[in-house]
Amino acid sequence: MSELIATLKVQIIEQLNLQHLKPEDIGDDQPLFVEGLGLDSIDALELIVLLQQRYGIKLANPQDGPTVFKTVRTIADYITAHKK
Amino acid sequence: MALFINGIGCISPQRTFDNSEFLAEVKEYSTNRLTCVDADYTKFFDAGSIRRMGRLMKYGTAAGMIAIRDAGIEVPGAISTGTALGLPEVSQRFLKSLIEVDETIVSPTTFIQSTHNTVSSNIALLCKCFSHNNTFSHKGFSFESALTDAQLLVLENMDNILVGAYDEVSDYKYAAMKKTKELRSEPSSNLDVYGEKGNGVIAGEGAAFFVLAKEKTENTYGMFVSNKAFYKPESTEEMRNHILSFLKTNNSSLEDIDVVISGISGAKETDAIRIDLNKNLFATQTIVAYKHLCGEYMTSSAFAFWLASKMMKAQQIPDAVILENKNRSPKNILLYNSHKHNHSLMLFKAC
Repeated sequence: MSELIATLKVQIIEQLNLQHLKPEDIGDDQPLFVEGLGLDSIDALELIVLLQQRYGIKLANPQDGPTVFKTVRTIADYITAHKK
Repeated sequence: MALFINGIGCISPQRTFDNSEFLAEVKEYSTNRLTCVDADYTKFFDAGSIRRMGRLMKYGTAAGMIAIRDAGIEVPGAISTGTALGLPEVSQRFLKSLIEVDETIVSPTTFIQSTHNTVSSNIALLCKCFSHNNTFSHKGFSFESALTDAQLLVLENMDNILVGAYDEVSDYKYAAMKKTKELRSEPSSNLDVYGEKGNGVIAGEGAAFFVLAKEKTENTYGMFVSNKAFYKPESTEEMRNHILSFLKTNNSSLEDIDVVISGISGAKETDAIRIDLNKNLFATQTIVAYKHLCGEYMTSSAFAFWLASKMMKAQQIPDAVILENKNRSPKNILLYNSHKHNHSLMLFKAC
């Protein structure tokens, strides 16, 4: 799990072009949206693309987005549960 | 319809984003590809916005915001822009990723930024201008079309029109220019592009914006009197007649013109008409060139518009642009630009 979380942080920085951040700047349980990293709705779409392109996982229900993309750990949990 | 130039903003391969300077130090390149000198974009956008913007989106939008701030207005009456190629770097990235993922799912950011009107839309969002917003894409007539649009908007009683143009030299465009042998075959100094040695242009890019208005202000740079475009003039004689007719239509004559801004580019074949006119028609005018500073691109006439504005306000012609000096003050300026078969004239008058 910790390896996946570390990889995800690098991929999120790359996909969202968060050049001002380093992987260690993102906490495993830090909220990604609004008060946390301040990501927005376009970033949510980018994360959906990331899941599909890198892990082959489609977010079946878009309403699950806020729960799945809450923190890096929740994304890692979702990947672990749904990876084929 | 004559309009006052009340604000300007330019980001180019020279240090032009600071309006308090005027080509104090000219940047020399030993390459045939000139790219923009970036401004500090954090002064214009928050960190969240910057990370999503492609290169042209950053310098195009910033140039527009510089012009708006320079004019001392909050919201322009309308926005009219010209771009020949839109945002090719981002568009190509989007198309490439579309192929890579077999047309399934692609990044929304590159998709959003792939349209030609991305820059003018972004400016509108930033300054909350919800009025007319149009982007013209007609190769070498793109900026000229935006200017005509602004003149028509003022006739419809709009004011403080933000007019501008932007283009970038993408890897693809640069490779295409190389392949068609438009470029100088070997890297050379940009300051030596008009000499006898070598043939071909240096590729360039940039963004320049202007606030055009009915009324003069304390910040007015000068007056944009008129413009006219011509497609594929066949000879020097034909272009000579166009110039004289254009001046006459605007109640002016050749004798009134002090400075000619020439769109000479370094490509011998396409420069032939301009060199001929510089020698034989503009015998008493100071002749100024600019494509050694910004490179050749389809909306480079916007850079020349910026140069005319600065010269009119400063009443000074920087040594770096003088091709032939006749010691004339830049009161009445004629710009003659061309990109391949697209030729255009613009007339300016100092206030």
